[in-house]
Amino acid sequence: MFLALKEIKHEKLRYGLIIAMIVLVSYLIFVLTSLALGLSNQNTQAITSWNANSILLNKDSNTNLSQSLITQEQDADLKLTKNDAYLAQASVVTKSSGHEQIAANYLGLQKKQFVNQNLKLSSGHKAENDHQVVADEKFQHSGYKLGDKIKLNSLSGSYKIVGFTKGAKFNIAPVLYGTLVGWQSIRGLGSNFKASAVVSKDSHVKSSNSNLKNYSIKQFIDKLPGYSAQNSTFTFMIAFLMIISLIVIAVFLYILTIQKLPNYAVLRAQGIPAKVLVKNTIFQSFILVIGGIIIASILTILTALLIPTSVPMSFNLPLLSLVAFGLVLTSILGAIIPVRTILKVDPVQVIGG
Amino acid sequence: MSTIELKHINKVFGTGLSRVQVLHDVNFTAERGELVLVLGPSGSGKSTFLTIAGGLQTPTSGEVQLNQKSLEQLSQKDLENFRLNKIGFVLQAYNLVPYLTVKEQFTLVDRVRKAGNIDSNELTNLLKYLEINDTVDKYPAELSGGQNQRVAIARALYTDPEIILADEPTASLDTGRVQEVGKLLKELATQQNKAIVVVTHDLRLKDYASRIYQITDGKMVEDSKDN
Repeated sequence: MFLALKEIKHEKLRYGLIIAMIVLVSYLIFVLTSLALGLSNQNTQAITSWNANSILLNKDSNTNLSQSLITQEQDADLKLTKNDAYLAQASVVTKSSGHEQIAANYLGLQKKQFVNQNLKLSSGHKAENDHQVVADEKFQHSGYKLGDKIKLNSLSGSYKIVGFTKGAKFNIAPVLYGTLVGWQSIRGLGSNFKASAVVSKDSHVKSSNSNLKNYSIKQFIDKLPGYSAQNSTFTFMIAFLMIISLIVIAVFLYILTIQKLPNYAVLRAQGIPAKVLVKNTIFQSFILVIGGIIIASILTILTALLIPTSVPMSFNLPLLSLVAFGLVLTSILGAIIPVRTILKVDPVQVIGG
Repeated sequence: MSTIELKHINKVFGTGLSRVQVLHDVNFTAERGELVLVLGPSGSGKSTFLTIAGGLQTPTSGEVQLNQKSLEQLSQKDLENFRLNKIGFVLQAYNLVPYLTVKEQFTLVDRVRKAGNIDSNELTNLLKYLEINDTVDKYPAELSGGQNQRVAIARALYTDPEIILADEPTASLDTGRVQEVGKLLKELATQQNKAIVVVTHDLRLKDYASRIYQITDGKMVEDSKDN
């Protein structure tokens, strides 16, 4: 430890540059992971907020909420409990004078069921009639206020924003929570259709209708349009980035150790045990990578604070800890690879011929 | 009784056509209180001799004894301890850790060898004696060649070893400095009762030697000081 710290203190530029490289690599991995997670969460935020375990959809909907419809006839075959709630989805574009158009998901809810009951508002109140909506905070960030009236698609009539809620994104788009009747009029379906789906806190919704099928929430999320493909792309991108970055760090630390061998040869000649030199090398790599990760973490947090809200970043502490652990582990591996060389360093090489 | 003794040492490198015998039946002794010079030109095998005497290399055949105990019987760890406790090396280059100050060169030894080193008063006296007591907070790069050499000598003496092995300690020093180093080594041998072995091609050190060996093409003979 003594040698490691003294060397870092004396060779400030060299070690400063190595720490800077570790900082940049760690920062890149942390930011990309957080951005990918942020984007991924925008697909599922609303679903996660319902705390549901299963969903009942029309079996011909390809597990897609927007393609699913439950008729009044099919609804008669359902035995809903207090753990079940109707969900009625419609894709809409909101228009309001003085505001940008926003592509959104209208989700009709039944007032007394758990999804509506558990809705957490950051301001305002829940929808009390069919022309009121609770909007995701994205609308607030885009300049909408409580009481603002919006038009949906090209429909006549307007909807009043009566509340705002946080973290209500579904398939990237912000959600407008309204009523089942509101949904019927937006879709132009009349009263023949009850909803798009039924979500449940239980493992399934009791149904005797063969045209309706239960799915787990995980199955439902995996089938969200583009969700799996997007996640796979990001996962591979980050994995390749990590592997290459970790190899680069390991190689740098390896070169660093190799450069020290002449000094180590002198110390070995003087009887300094090899294990002291090995411990010193590993400890030094540990200090460098921990220092780099701490600085990179601070930079990532600053980035998250300063980045525009339109660019979502999400932190998953266990995942980022795992990434940091991978960095530490690989760096130590990079330092351990030349241990054999340290053990075999020939003190004779420092004595002239 | 010899402190260090090399008996019938042969050292061969390579095999077949690339086989080179560097040392031929070398016999050598050095006792405490002596400054023994091993004189020879470059390539004569004197550095190989020094590394074998210091336990850094093993001979192809023959035996190295320290206080009548053979080094051959020592494990790698025991050899490290032997070098740390019994031998002080003064090397011609890279002999100090570049990122440690003079004071820290000794602190490093304290961290590895917890007991048996000279105490702080003795170190202060040694540094004064070597005229480097005002360099303790300097790095090797900030010292002159002569100062570096004297720090290396102090570092070698810090563990209070029985034997000092010096490799060309006067290389690149002017005549004045050579005389100083020669006088110093002689005094260390006689006043601190060390066995000091110096391998060199610098004939200017002859005046300070107790005994002299000549080595040529790997063959060593004890020489008269007057030759």
